[in-house]
Amino acid sequence: MRSAGVWAVLAVAAATLALPLVLDSGGLAVYVQVAVSASVVVGISLLMGYAGQVSLGQAVFFATGGYTAALVSQAGLPTLAGLLAAPVVAALCALVLGLPLLRLRGHHLAFATIAVHLIFLVVVAQTDALGGSTGLQGIPLLSLGPLEVSTNQGYAYVAWAVLAVVVVVARNIVRSRPGRALRALATSETAAASSGIPVGRYKLTVFAVSAAFAGAAGGVFAFYIGFLSPGMFPVSMSITYVVMAVVGGLGSVWGAVAGTALVTVLVHYLGVLGTLGGMPDYAPSVFTYAVYGLVLVLTVLFLPHGVVPSLAEWWRRRVRARQGRERAGADGRAPAPT
Amino acid sequence: MITLLAHVVSGLAIGCGFALVGSGLVAVYRVTGVVNFAQGMFAVVGGLCASAFLGAGIWHGGAELLAVAVAAAAGAVTGLLALGRRGTAPMTALIVTLAVGFLAYAVLVAVFGDTPRSTPGLPGMTSLLGVPVRRHHLLVIGVTAVVFLALWLFLTRTYLGKALTACASNPYAARVTGIPVARMAQFAFVLAGVLGGVAGVLVAPLRPMSFDSDVTLIVHGFAAAVLGGLTRPMVALAGGVLLGVVEALVAGYGNAAYQTTVALVVMLAVMIWHAARRPSVHQEVTV
Repeated sequence: MRSAGVWAVLAVAAATLALPLVLDSGGLAVYVQVAVSASVVVGISLLMGYAGQVSLGQAVFFATGGYTAALVSQAGLPTLAGLLAAPVVAALCALVLGLPLLRLRGHHLAFATIAVHLIFLVVVAQTDALGGSTGLQGIPLLSLGPLEVSTNQGYAYVAWAVLAVVVVVARNIVRSRPGRALRALATSETAAASSGIPVGRYKLTVFAVSAAFAGAAGGVFAFYIGFLSPGMFPVSMSITYVVMAVVGGLGSVWGAVAGTALVTVLVHYLGVLGTLGGMPDYAPSVFTYAVYGLVLVLTVLFLPHGVVPSLAEWWRRRVRARQGRERAGADGRAPAPT
Repeated sequence: MITLLAHVVSGLAIGCGFALVGSGLVAVYRVTGVVNFAQGMFAVVGGLCASAFLGAGIWHGGAELLAVAVAAAAGAVTGLLALGRRGTAPMTALIVTLAVGFLAYAVLVAVFGDTPRSTPGLPGMTSLLGVPVRRHHLLVIGVTAVVFLALWLFLTRTYLGKALTACASNPYAARVTGIPVARMAQFAFVLAGVLGGVAGVLVAPLRPMSFDSDVTLIVHGFAAAVLGGLTRPMVALAGGVLLGVVEALVAGYGNAAYQTTVALVVMLAVMIWHAARRPSVHQEVTV
């Protein structure tokens, strides 16, 4: 049973690594998009699923990472330094913002993070050092010594490498002792606090970690796209990350990745459908919004724990039922109710 | 002095729009504990429908009323989706209203396209204490005053309004005394649709509206309503008006780019101050 799971993971990993070699340019763009967004969504899934905090402004940290990577590499430093600085600066911003913001909870925090997003957009558009509303142009290609990442396939591998790091870090956090403390915190802050968990510090740490994930993704994105402007980070972008996290399953690292892949692929291919002949020019955006809305409504109402945890639960129940039947067949009794 | 008064009047007018959106949030939150993220969308529906109905040749007044009716219907649909399943937790319902917002984007773009629209409001200028002001600004202020008066009378003087208030203060006790709490929650969403629709119809001539204008409207509405802990409509009115005037003054005497930023920072400060005063134990949601 366990080895079957390991083989399945290896097969999926091998297929994922082989995909960039066979995809066309449109498919490759989706592939990069999935990896970049999934890195952000894993962070949101941790933040919402474990710390119980909703952030509707995560795109701010994504953008912070992007701008950091761009500015560092445009200042003549190695691009790798930019990529490494992106998560650090995003996490520092999250620490500074989180100190006052994380006093809020629930819908108050949700609105506060949207407000931060709106403020961010205005401030960036007014700051000449960040290129104002026209943005930053001519971000150099990512390079490692003499090696320059110039193809989309290269960026696909960079993006998935970053996602792999994010997933490993997230899984280690979840399985550690602080991870268990976080789960307690998600259930009841009061109970967690009374059993000695430093609630405030933990919430702030998860907030910073999720921002670091978003920042790293933003760094990759900046090098991949080559230019940045505030218009590329609308408020709806932050909300779509939450949609992906909720669809995949909150508090589940693989759920975050699967949810992102599911929603991104659906949105892309319905968008392609929308650009076919005979469709009005606004059809792609109609399809996009409809997908986000429908998928979210259906998930929340019918699979409230998200796609991946629900599937896992269904599978576990099936296996248990089969084992129960086998046992019942062996000693001629009905399976004991579990 | 004259320019100051002119800024104040235009700020009052836009602030009334925020207050109406905020009062819609209050109507739903009081009864259901749900923060309705689709509230800004109701205003957008109202504004865009009004422009479409006027474009179709329906006379003023009728077109606006029809638009408000469509917004009320949007409120009913949102309520059904958010509360239709039994035992939906308020935080889950918030996510559903967010999803309804996205669905509404799809419908609005399909019906109205993605270019901003405006409606002709009450044309012309008039003089108030020697200050020239747009007549539409005065109309907005007047209509808002009437709506809030009606809302206050409704909540305190009618059976239905008192039942709503009862649901808000103790749903269990309300159910025991025979008030249909679930139907009241639905009604609150329709009321929110009406309030949002009125806001949209009034604001559309002042600020061109497109399908995604709901974000700024809902954030301002929330900012206005949060002053009164999301439960007091009259405080939402005061908050909305305050925000509107502050924004108009920042735009008039400072940098127009920062007008919303100032308002949002004020809202954040108020919320954090509120949160710091109340210990977290009393806010814990039991699922």
